[in-house]
Amino acid sequence: MAAIKLKNIVKSFGDTAVVKGIDLSIEDGEFVVLVGPSGCGKSTTLRMIAGLEQATSGDIVIGERVVNDIEPQHRNIAMVFQNYALYPHKSVRENIIFALRRLKVDNADIERRLAEVSEMLQLEELLDRKPADLSGGQRQRVAMGRAIIREADLFLFDEPLSNLDSKLRSHMRTEIGKIHNKFGRTSVYVTHDQVEAMTLADKVVVLHDGYIAQAGTPMEVYLNPANVFVAQFIGSPSMNIIEGTLFNDYLLVDNYRLPRKQLSNVALQTVIDQQGIPVKVGIRPDFFNDSRLFPETDNTFNFTGLQIDLIEPMGFDKEVLFNLAGEAVKARLDLRSELQRDQQIDLVVELSRVLLFDSETDQRL
Amino acid sequence: MTPLERAEARFGWKLVAPTIAILGLLILYPLMYNVYLSFFDVQLNGSKTFVGIENYIKLLSNSDYYSAIATTSLYLLGTVVGTTLLGLAMALLLRDPFMGRGLVNAAIMLPYVAPVISVVFGWQFLFDPISGVVNYLFVDLLGLWSERSNLIGDPDSALWVVVLFDIWKHAPIAYLLILSKLVSISRDQYEAAAIDGYGPIGRFFHVTLPELYFVLATVVLLRLIWNLNRFEDVYLLAPNVETLPIFTYYQAFTGVIDQGLAAATSVIQLGVLSIFIWFYIKKIMKW
Repeated sequence: MAAIKLKNIVKSFGDTAVVKGIDLSIEDGEFVVLVGPSGCGKSTTLRMIAGLEQATSGDIVIGERVVNDIEPQHRNIAMVFQNYALYPHKSVRENIIFALRRLKVDNADIERRLAEVSEMLQLEELLDRKPADLSGGQRQRVAMGRAIIREADLFLFDEPLSNLDSKLRSHMRTEIGKIHNKFGRTSVYVTHDQVEAMTLADKVVVLHDGYIAQAGTPMEVYLNPANVFVAQFIGSPSMNIIEGTLFNDYLLVDNYRLPRKQLSNVALQTVIDQQGIPVKVGIRPDFFNDSRLFPETDNTFNFTGLQIDLIEPMGFDKEVLFNLAGEAVKARLDLRSELQRDQQIDLVVELSRVLLFDSETDQRL
Repeated sequence: MTPLERAEARFGWKLVAPTIAILGLLILYPLMYNVYLSFFDVQLNGSKTFVGIENYIKLLSNSDYYSAIATTSLYLLGTVVGTTLLGLAMALLLRDPFMGRGLVNAAIMLPYVAPVISVVFGWQFLFDPISGVVNYLFVDLLGLWSERSNLIGDPDSALWVVVLFDIWKHAPIAYLLILSKLVSISRDQYEAAAIDGYGPIGRFFHVTLPELYFVLATVVLLRLIWNLNRFEDVYLLAPNVETLPIFTYYQAFTGVIDQGLAAATSVIQLGVLSIFIWFYIKKIMKW
């Protein structure tokens, strides 16, 4: 078991800086998900923790040890690779127990642990096969087994589910969650899929362009994103960002005036002069409600007379597109709202869910 | 077979027919004629007398034949082990790109592409007892040997010169074959093995070597097949090293010419060669 500290980690390949200064502490037993678009530095960060890449500067501490100059084989970590990286010449059994052979674990113990792991991952039937004879999902399970059997200090996952079809992916996601609950090992998980991040993480770390854009619990990054990037990256469909103007008493969006006093999730409390200040207004599609089903209160605002441009039915949900201040804005309503295209609709939003961002810096106000 | 496949097959036969005809004429016919000759006492004027297996009996009771087999075995062992290990070592060293790898590659390939006769003269000059650099180095400079010796002139030491020459000349092809496989091994596997706790030596034995199995087996067997028949390198550099092809040549074309006996030698050699080739195709290539 181990806590991890990354202290001002920088990684450059030649002239290209990929990781530009990351500070992060991961507690013992915590499940941390590094999430971000491709090229944000998440995989590189994971590989530096593993020791597969050397940081250009900064310190990595695992447990009590600074591991900057410690080879991967001496870090006592287990890792699941995106392409599984199974040994093609070894059987499933040999693949799984390969690390234990190196650790000189005695045979009885190996057999016991193998039996336990192969039962948990339903690998009993496959133990004598070679990786080439397995399906993608089976290979993924073998890769998981190889990591679990180690009982290592630290689990690293490098986009482990990205090569699976969507059904299998969601199944394995659940399995990974269960395994973490069972063993409670410190885990670092890299993905570009915000659903995996939200469902698995104790702590989500959103990376953007080599920096940490925000780190927090899944609900923190969902409800209180620190900037426009995080707001749009986390959550699906992504948050609507609309141009608006903030005046001393109200927020002007299109020609709707939202009372400033009730925007309880906006930190900015200074007096604003008469011209007002331009802002970006963030409202999640999930927070729009059909006014026919949702009574207006003191803390809500009713966007009346919105013209529906498009309806995308998803079964229980439907996504409704309309125009607000020149932006195509999305609302997610459920099946109770019966709607048609070109119809007008009134949508209610709780004012505490309306977020404001600086129009220049994109940071939360 | 579908009609389409039948048409394809017919077309295929038409394409390979000329090759089969030429191979039959130039290889299969001489081969069979050689087997035929091995049962005759052949005179230089062309007259032949059937002697049954007498040539074989004569051959198998000739002590020179056994000494040629021993020489060939040592030659095969030395050259096959030497080229494979040297090729592997060079491939491992030159696997990762570095400045000037192209130049180093070209230098390594040079002995392989140079004409045999020119490099043989070079080697003979190197080993010359009077003016050769080898004697100068070991006798005059390092003082490891007490006196100058004619390494190529003495058949015992000449064998090792010939082995060394073959390793030098043919390690490049082993290097090339091994390197091409080596660079295709995925980095993932090495990373996984490192995570699993294995250092460079463990990774070599558990990742590199299993991946190289096929190509190493190929190198070993191809070298065996080629070198069992190797004539020109040995004969040109040190004609006193009597490997089987050279023994056969002496029987067939020098001294008391006995082409029937030479044919019998070739037939036995063909048998051994066929076993190697069968093994290569069945066990290594798994056809």
